[in-house]
Amino acid sequence: MATRDFDPEEEKKSYGAVFLLATSLLVFVALWAVWDDNFTRRSWKRYQAEFNRLDYAKAKAAYDAEDKKLQADPTYRELTKKLAAERARLERGDLARRLAELRKKEAEADIRFAEVDQEIKFIKSELEEAWYEHDHAVQTGANVKPHLARIRELEAEQKKLEPDLERLRQRRESIKQEIKKIESGPKAIEDEIAKVAAERDKWVRVMDNAIVRLGPVSFYKIPKIRQVVLSEFDRNHFDEPVARVDRCQTCHLAINRPGFENEPHPFKTHPRREVLLADNAHPPEKFGCTVCHDGQGTAVNTPRQAHGEVPYWERPLLRGAKVQASCTSCHLDVQRLQDAPLLAQGQRLFEQIGCTGCHPARGYEDLPKIGPSLRRISAKVDPSWAVRWIQNPQAFLPRTRMPNFSLTEDEAIAITAFLWSVSSEEGGKWLEQHPPPAALKANGKGLAERGRSLAESIGCKGCHGFADGEFATVLGKEKDVVPNLKNIAAKVDARWIYHWIKNPRGFSPETRMPSLRLSDEEAAAITAYLTTLGQKGEPIPRIEERLKDPNNIKRGESLVRKNGCFGCHDIPGMEKESRIGVELTTFGSKTIEDLFFGNRTDIRRTWDDWTYNKLKTPRIYATERVEQIMPQFNLADEDIQALRVVLAGFRESKVPAQYRADQSQRVADVVAGRRLVHQYNCIGCHEIEHRGGFIRKYYERTPELAPPPLNGEGEKVQSNWLFSFIKEPTPIRPWLQLRMPTFGLTDAEANQLVAYFNGLAKVEIPYAHFNERAVPPENLEAARVLFSKEYFDCLSCHQQGDKKPEGPQEGWAPDLTLARNRLNPNWIVKWLQDPQKVQPGTKMPSFFPGGPENILGGKDDRQIEALRDYVMWLGRNASGGRVEAPAPRRMGRG
Amino acid sequence: MKKLFWNLGAALTAAMLGGATALAYESAAVSDGGSITVTVKYKGTPPTPKKLEVTKDKEVCAKSPKTDPSLIVSGDNLVNAVVYISDIKKGKKMAPTKVTLDQKECEYRPHVLAFPAGSTVEILNPDGILHNVHSYSQKNPPFNMAQPKFKKTLTVKIDKPEAVNVKCDVHGWMSGWLFAAENPYFGVTDNSGVVKLTDVPPGNYTVEVWHETLGKQSQKVTVKAKEDAKVNIEMAKK
Repeated sequence: MATRDFDPEEEKKSYGAVFLLATSLLVFVALWAVWDDNFTRRSWKRYQAEFNRLDYAKAKAAYDAEDKKLQADPTYRELTKKLAAERARLERGDLARRLAELRKKEAEADIRFAEVDQEIKFIKSELEEAWYEHDHAVQTGANVKPHLARIRELEAEQKKLEPDLERLRQRRESIKQEIKKIESGPKAIEDEIAKVAAERDKWVRVMDNAIVRLGPVSFYKIPKIRQVVLSEFDRNHFDEPVARVDRCQTCHLAINRPGFENEPHPFKTHPRREVLLADNAHPPEKFGCTVCHDGQGTAVNTPRQAHGEVPYWERPLLRGAKVQASCTSCHLDVQRLQDAPLLAQGQRLFEQIGCTGCHPARGYEDLPKIGPSLRRISAKVDPSWAVRWIQNPQAFLPRTRMPNFSLTEDEAIAITAFLWSVSSEEGGKWLEQHPPPAALKANGKGLAERGRSLAESIGCKGCHGFADGEFATVLGKEKDVVPNLKNIAAKVDARWIYHWIKNPRGFSPETRMPSLRLSDEEAAAITAYLTTLGQKGEPIPRIEERLKDPNNIKRGESLVRKNGCFGCHDIPGMEKESRIGVELTTFGSKTIEDLFFGNRTDIRRTWDDWTYNKLKTPRIYATERVEQIMPQFNLADEDIQALRVVLAGFRESKVPAQYRADQSQRVADVVAGRRLVHQYNCIGCHEIEHRGGFIRKYYERTPELAPPPLNGEGEKVQSNWLFSFIKEPTPIRPWLQLRMPTFGLTDAEANQLVAYFNGLAKVEIPYAHFNERAVPPENLEAARVLFSKEYFDCLSCHQQGDKKPEGPQEGWAPDLTLARNRLNPNWIVKWLQDPQKVQPGTKMPSFFPGGPENILGGKDDRQIEALRDYVMWLGRNASGGRVEAPAPRRMGRG
Repeated sequence: MKKLFWNLGAALTAAMLGGATALAYESAAVSDGGSITVTVKYKGTPPTPKKLEVTKDKEVCAKSPKTDPSLIVSGDNLVNAVVYISDIKKGKKMAPTKVTLDQKECEYRPHVLAFPAGSTVEILNPDGILHNVHSYSQKNPPFNMAQPKFKKTLTVKIDKPEAVNVKCDVHGWMSGWLFAAENPYFGVTDNSGVVKLTDVPPGNYTVEVWHETLGKQSQKVTVKAKEDAKVNIEMAKK
């Protein structure tokens, strides 16, 4: 058996130093691990500790301030004095002695009561036993008599003791009452003090919340994670509902507490907290934070991680106004959200500037093409003008929506050649049917002057500008939705203008330009006026010839296809072409890896920067190899920011129904109706949803002659009247020079508009019947008297049939016989109660409260009812809402 | 005659809030007060008074001829301008009162009615026709009340300091002003163009003139005990 080498030297060696080193290292690492786990990597703990100190200090300061106020308050001082006296009385003197005596008696009484009580309980137990023995004897056939005797005996004992118990109970109770009575003196004062000092003492609760008390020691609360769990909010990769967990309030501790508005982040109160975090809006305990703000809800280690501003996290914190993008996840109608103005503006831009002409996006599939139809373009515009326009639209109209495709003149000529080739047959036919009007031959200065005054008075300015700086509806910061006509004669000639303004849909069946029901003479005058605005440019050399060149036509066609002109314009032969741009439905969730920066190294690698630059200079990322086609829109910076918010909201999100806002049919109707209102530019003339009515600026001195605001229209008028009026307007104020145009809307569109107005006003029952036979005769009698000159003198302003009111037209009001078919009877009541409330600024004065004492018992509500009945009764012979002969029917399709 | 008090909810609210505005000025006993005599002149050629056409209810309204009241100059004195101290914080007692605005023959009389804020205005309708009193106010709640024949008196309370234009929509030419002053130092110029502000505690003040067409103009003034300070202000069309 071999023995291991024995090295005496080795045995003498000491490893103490190594062990010491190793153990110290181990201890150090252990300590470091504890430290790291509890402090270094738990920076949120510092935030919470800091917040606890801040919270406590603020509460203490508030407490002290309130306390100081209280100390100066004589009521409080008197109460505390009274309390001290009362307490002193209980501590010494007769009362104190009496109390001590009572307490002693109370103790004795308690004991006496307990003794008897126990005795009775024992008897009851013995009774149970005796009954058992008795029953047992019955069942075994033994003698029951002794058992029965025992039972009777026990019962007698119990009976004897019960009055004693009752007596002792009462005695004990009376002693307790007396003690309570003596002690209630200070108690009542204490309650009163608590009431007076409530403002101060509430801070005690706040302070108590920030600290922990352990006997005499108190320290700030130990930090802990605070999280909100949104059950079934998200879906995992297997499409199963999973909870979302937000821990944001671990650091953002005062987000739903008032009083921290001026503190720095993360201790700041949420802006507009009382509205946005209210129980009927987004209470944080239900919605958490990341539903709106994004970020990495579960992360708490560092702010960067928590905010999700780390590589590959797909939803980094939405900073600044970009948070508005989230509203679209749950709200169908974002235009009405007070706190998302940028999103609302961006959405209007997105819908109306033509994005959807090229880019498909969910929710925006059914928008109409925003440009005019080119089906008969050769019959409309001057070919040289068309070439220049295609090449640089903004040179002709700086505020136009048409973008610049950076084409060469040759390319523009080619496109024009193609457009002429596809439109000349239809255009030619139209020209044949629409010869130059005879009325125009007498084109004198007088005619143009009359045309100008017509254009200014009948409502053209609700949409069109006629000079630089004139516009009605502005899209975004500075885009026109309708062309300015300051240079119109350079584009089109008198013949086309004349027939166009007389019947726009006769030239272009889908146009949104309405008919103003012009007579031949009126159309000629306006044509004469418009032909004075600008003049034809120099023709491009050999233009006619070049337009007929088959090579140009062929080249033009491929350019039209490449640039996707059919996205915005109706072009013959290209009706079925699909949109050429990328789909934007999930654009907001694109990561840096998805975005093509080309060779640009000067642009920061963020979604925000990429998108901003793309919208600012759409071809910025083009390289030698990769061509880009998106044209230049010349958008203002604020418009780019607004559009970017809309784009950020484009992402896949399946928010469960219980978290979503109202998405009922009513809201859908409002959204769809509003698109029509924008499309037909109703807001050029009418204020709707407190927006628009831009033509009113020309009527500042005579607002009575401007188009009426339509806020609350759904509640005001009857749905069937509104429908017929939209389809075929009939004058309500015939003295107005402005004309409600005939738009030639389809039945579906007109219905949609009615649903829109009803939806806005939350009208649930759109049709109301009024039975004039059921009107009490005394109501008619009373209303007739109220109508008279002696009383309200209604006809002083209201027109009555052919009888016009006295005085200038600014003071006139509609014929009351129109009300029968037009107005909602309930609205009439509301209107008469307080016209200013229904329509602020109206010239209709309030007659109530304060109706005459001698009519219908002087009761205002009965008089209003009578007036309502009478007004409805007045129009009983009117049919279908048409009291006066309507304007000639010329238009209409569908 | 029956007196009707129009208890406007809005006016009530304003009355509750009125306390705050009243605090801006503090009433105190003034001894050894001085005075300020303000003369307001019109600079430029006095406009020829424009005749207003009476287009309605002529049997009553046309009884007296109407001229455009928006700029009246007598000699070179500016009429219907309101003179007041704009920056006085403490002085003689501010007592809201009851003032009267008449609409006789379809004209507001006086054309400019000045009173301390918080006062009650009684609006009279002696014509026996329908009027309406439509206010165009910013700080005070706007009102538009009908005043039919049977309602001889209307009452409104103007709580906040403001120059309120009142108009009648029935008779388009009618326009008048209710000037609710912030403190008791105010006056309206008559044909002499002069307003004297009395019992002013000695000190430095700003005198301001307001005119419906010409706007505002102000001037600094020092008031000494028991002395009269003179201020001359010339206003012109802008």
